[in-house]
Amino acid sequence: MHTPMSTDGASVGGTQLVRLMNWLSPSFPVGAYSYSHGIEYAVDAGLIHDRDTLRDWVSEVIAAGTGRVDADLHRAAHEAVRNRDEALFVWVLEHGDAMRATRELGEETENQGQAFLAAVARPWPAAGLDWAQEKAAEQQRPMVYPVAVGAVAAAQDIPLEPALAAYLHALAANLVSAGIRLIPLGQSDGQQALADLEPVILDAVAQALERDREDIGQAALMVDWASARHETQYTRLFRS
Amino acid sequence: MNPSPVTDGSATLSFEAARGGTAIGELYQHDPLRLLFPRHMKGEPLTGVLVTTSGGLVGGDRLQIRVSSGEGAAGRVLAQAAEKIYRSTGADSRIKIRLQAEAGSWLEWLPQETILFDSSRLRRSTEIRAVPGARMLCGEMVVLGRTAMGERMRQGLLHEAWEVYWDDRLAWADALHLNSGFERVSDAPAGLDGARACASILYVGGDAGEHLDPARTLIDETVEDSLRVAASCMGKVLVIRWLGRDSLQLRDAYGRFWAAFRHHLAGYPPIMPRLWQA
Repeated sequence: MHTPMSTDGASVGGTQLVRLMNWLSPSFPVGAYSYSHGIEYAVDAGLIHDRDTLRDWVSEVIAAGTGRVDADLHRAAHEAVRNRDEALFVWVLEHGDAMRATRELGEETENQGQAFLAAVARPWPAAGLDWAQEKAAEQQRPMVYPVAVGAVAAAQDIPLEPALAAYLHALAANLVSAGIRLIPLGQSDGQQALADLEPVILDAVAQALERDREDIGQAALMVDWASARHETQYTRLFRS
Repeated sequence: MNPSPVTDGSATLSFEAARGGTAIGELYQHDPLRLLFPRHMKGEPLTGVLVTTSGGLVGGDRLQIRVSSGEGAAGRVLAQAAEKIYRSTGADSRIKIRLQAEAGSWLEWLPQETILFDSSRLRRSTEIRAVPGARMLCGEMVVLGRTAMGERMRQGLLHEAWEVYWDDRLAWADALHLNSGFERVSDAPAGLDGARACASILYVGGDAGEHLDPARTLIDETVEDSLRVAASCMGKVLVIRWLGRDSLQLRDAYGRFWAAFRHHLAGYPPIMPRLWQA
């Protein structure tokens, strides 16, 4: 099967599809399994206790929380690298680095971004990635996770829409995985939650593609609360 | 009904170190913003009171507020009353705040709550600029709907953005954005979980990290468990976030914490101004 190369379409196939699946699979070495995004505390506090409460929590993270901010950062990083737009990329680097709702949520995105870049650099070199790394070094800012994935996708000519869908799906899948380990739930409950989250992810992608940059922000304030509380949680399995 | 003329208010105030204390440097005010200076209270920083004479903002209104504290100065700005944001038919009300502190200075920014009427549209940005040796305690509180009369926010816009620059470099940023699905997000357990009021307190200073544990202890001592309050520290920025179902309960606890925390940070009296209690 032949799929045409495209940098702005919605479809992806061939090499690009395989790379996207690899980079955003749970086994890609970014250490995703060690971050719960505050879910460890939310479970402890009784806010999440079954499949439905887990699904609803993750749904809000994707639609109104970190997923919303990450989508904007990912999109802006993708556009900046694709067009070699330095001013836009500096904005992305600054805001990705500065928009840390809590210390642990900041570490979660920074560490995964750095691990992602380290894992991608040698097997998949690209001129666009070199350019992005150079700007990050100049600005002395880390590329946080959505920025790193957006930049690498653009550098590899992977279109924005599938790259963003894959990113948000990976975020959702990782949080569901943390939830089923913490509550605990069976794998079938986890898969049902992910099936339920498909329209949420696709809607979040569609909205992000339309959004003004001025509207970057989030409203999952209980996630911030849970994450800040997690910093002093007595028994912890997760780093966030 | 004719549309009311659009308001474009501004206020600028600088505190400057003077012999033995702090004096007013620059002062500029344009309707509907006014600055008043109550009689100095012993042991307190020089205090300005910000008044919005129009009583509230409609769509299209803009306010710009700039407060700075020069080297070695100590100042505080309070709001006289709650700010009301009225229902808008489309245009956003915009408030731009810029707070700046130089080396060796203290700046305290204590607005009262902003009450968002249902269908109001507010974009507020607070830019904080600090340098090594400066210390700033800044707050903000929002009530979603006129809760006292049972109103809740069903539509409209709230975009509440913070940017903190440390030595001219963006060090921390945050943006609360609510524009669609107000009821869903404000009821969702991961959203506001039923809260009708939210607030933030920021302490910015080179020693921010040292005050995280004391802030957490104060939260445990002064705040009831029915409020959701938590602190985290990112470099030079210590952030304490507040969520509450009852805006008056949140306001009371916020005030108790503020009073105790300013005392802890700078030795000022552990009391809130009379205006806060009115």
